[in-house]
Amino acid sequence: MSDITNVIRKELKELLTPGSVISVLIMVVLFAGLGGLIGGEVEKAQALPVFGIANGEYGDITLEDGSEWSAADYLTRLYSGVPEDEIGDYIKIIDIEGVTDFYELMTSNGINSLVIIDRSFSENVLYNLYTASSVTDLKPVVIQEYYLYEPSGMFGSISSSTVSAVVSGMSSDLSGFLIKSCIAPEKVYQFLANPITHGGDDLHTIVNGEPHPGVTPQDIASQISSQTMMIPMIIMIIIMMVGSIVISSMGSEKENKTLETLLTLPIKRTSIVSGKIIAAAIVGLVYGLAYMAGMSIYMNAMMGPTSSGIDLEALGLGLDMMDWALIALSMFLAIICALGICMILGAFAKNYKSAQTMTMPLSILAMVPMFVIMFSGWYGSGTVIQAVTFAIPFSHPMMAMQSLMYGDYMLVFSGIAYMAIFALVMILITVKLYNSDILITGLGQNKTVQKLTGRK
Amino acid sequence: MTDALVLEDVRKSYGNREAVHGISLTVHEGEIFGLIGHNGAGKTTTLRMISTLLEITSGSISVYGHDVAKEPEAVREIISYLPEDAGAYKDMTGRAYLEFIARFFASGKEKDEMVAKGIALADLGERIDSKVDTYSKGMMRRLLIARAIMPSPKLAIMDEVTSGLDVINAYEIREIIRDIAKSGVTVVMSSHNMFEVDMLCDRVGLIDQGNLVLLGTPAELKEQFGVDTLEEVFVKAVKGA
Repeated sequence: MSDITNVIRKELKELLTPGSVISVLIMVVLFAGLGGLIGGEVEKAQALPVFGIANGEYGDITLEDGSEWSAADYLTRLYSGVPEDEIGDYIKIIDIEGVTDFYELMTSNGINSLVIIDRSFSENVLYNLYTASSVTDLKPVVIQEYYLYEPSGMFGSISSSTVSAVVSGMSSDLSGFLIKSCIAPEKVYQFLANPITHGGDDLHTIVNGEPHPGVTPQDIASQISSQTMMIPMIIMIIIMMVGSIVISSMGSEKENKTLETLLTLPIKRTSIVSGKIIAAAIVGLVYGLAYMAGMSIYMNAMMGPTSSGIDLEALGLGLDMMDWALIALSMFLAIICALGICMILGAFAKNYKSAQTMTMPLSILAMVPMFVIMFSGWYGSGTVIQAVTFAIPFSHPMMAMQSLMYGDYMLVFSGIAYMAIFALVMILITVKLYNSDILITGLGQNKTVQKLTGRK
Repeated sequence: MTDALVLEDVRKSYGNREAVHGISLTVHEGEIFGLIGHNGAGKTTTLRMISTLLEITSGSISVYGHDVAKEPEAVREIISYLPEDAGAYKDMTGRAYLEFIARFFASGKEKDEMVAKGIALADLGERIDSKVDTYSKGMMRRLLIARAIMPSPKLAIMDEVTSGLDVINAYEIREIIRDIAKSGVTVVMSSHNMFEVDMLCDRVGLIDQGNLVLLGTPAELKEQFGVDTLEEVFVKAVKGA
């Protein structure tokens, strides 16, 4: 077994303890569970609304030509997918005669939305059609809505908005019925209702020079965002995790004085540095993949209701094997850069406790690009922010997926080249530190530091 | 007699402060050499320079003919350094720790033999398979001595090797050091225990404020100061009484 393998094996044994593995598994289960919970809430919110309708008989209209419309018919058409004997589970006919306590009425009927058709609903429709002498003489045709507010989380308002949409739909349906019956034949009604045809296949968005019908830029942006949104967060978690692992390992080695022993063994300093970096990178990738799996379940549940369902592949915005390989390379190099920074920071840690505080600069470096990329994105940022984002190596895997989707290979390749140089410089500095006194004596005994602080 | 360790005008500065002021000495093969001095005198700094842990500001150190500054890797092949209050990896068992160290020196059957030697030297019985963080200070020290001796180094460097140990453990560790010296290993050790140094060391060097102020066998030093113990030598040399 080579020296470097020996160091990697030892580091992996130290890092992959049952406790640490269990804590990561718990995080994954929590993410997945949270995703399932949200998914369930979304499904619940998106399901056909259950609501009460009061005084249904006041919604029946019969015009002079004999044609009929009723609110009940409209609702039956709306719930046409539901077996007839189950419609009662969704629409509950409620008697509100003499009711003053609507809270009691709704809770006792197990509903949180109540639609009340006014007593004068059909009477006023007929008056407005046949009797009213002018616009000022029109009588209001009212449907009242009652909703029960329950603090049920982020999707709690969806069911009330769906019921509200049902009422708006009812208004449009009645409007269509009245126009058809009183003013114009079917063809004129259809024309009056939609005189201008737009959208659908008459709408085109040009992507990479190719026009694509039926897709808006907003649809594409929302789909890309839904697929890439979790990447910066996952990269940030991985960076912070591997950073903490390496710095803590260094602090622990110093505290237990095992580092002094390790440095006097017949092993090259580069092997010690590489062994520690490779082991932490392996652990980081394992943990990262675990987080990614948990986060995917969580994000899929989150993005479900808003995803536009656009096929990015068909738009030429998909990723091929080469693209995925570039993303993996970018992620790997970012981890190596993070580990390089941490090996340098860890060299100055006096013990395990002081090592914990040293992860702060790394956390900030990982959070800055995450926020920039999640909120304004690389392409929406100004030159200064772009320069800062580019200079932070962890930015590159965060934006690689989106850049590759947009075909911006120049940004991805330049990021990879920059990270490779950055990682190399970090490793060289680390090896230099491992060959110097600083690792043993700390910064306090350094000539430059003494000059700066005035201490001897 | 072969020179195991040669220090020539060795100096060490930390920034503007010089901690070691031109120490020169020679340690012969198979000798147990004791470095004594009060806290902060420069003993540990000197031992760390010999062990390739610290850079030498000026002068030179050679271990069995290998220059520490120019050939640190060759030096690490033939030395073992045991720092004061050193520990082992807490999540490992004693056996796993010895195996981890042995893999840097050998492989296959040779490695297995080295580990077996280490286990015998540590003499921890069944506790060799217990986690290191359950060990007492004495057990830990035995494990670390075994680790240092197991690869058969030519030069063993031990800093405050029995510090904080009870009488029995300290006695047993001294016996181990005596045995390894008999087998030809050169030992350079530091200690505050003058009784221990008197009993163990063939020659002694006293460091005071970074200078080597005395060098000789315990008997020579006692005779030089006209006293009965090395402790009295130490006090007279340092305080000038």
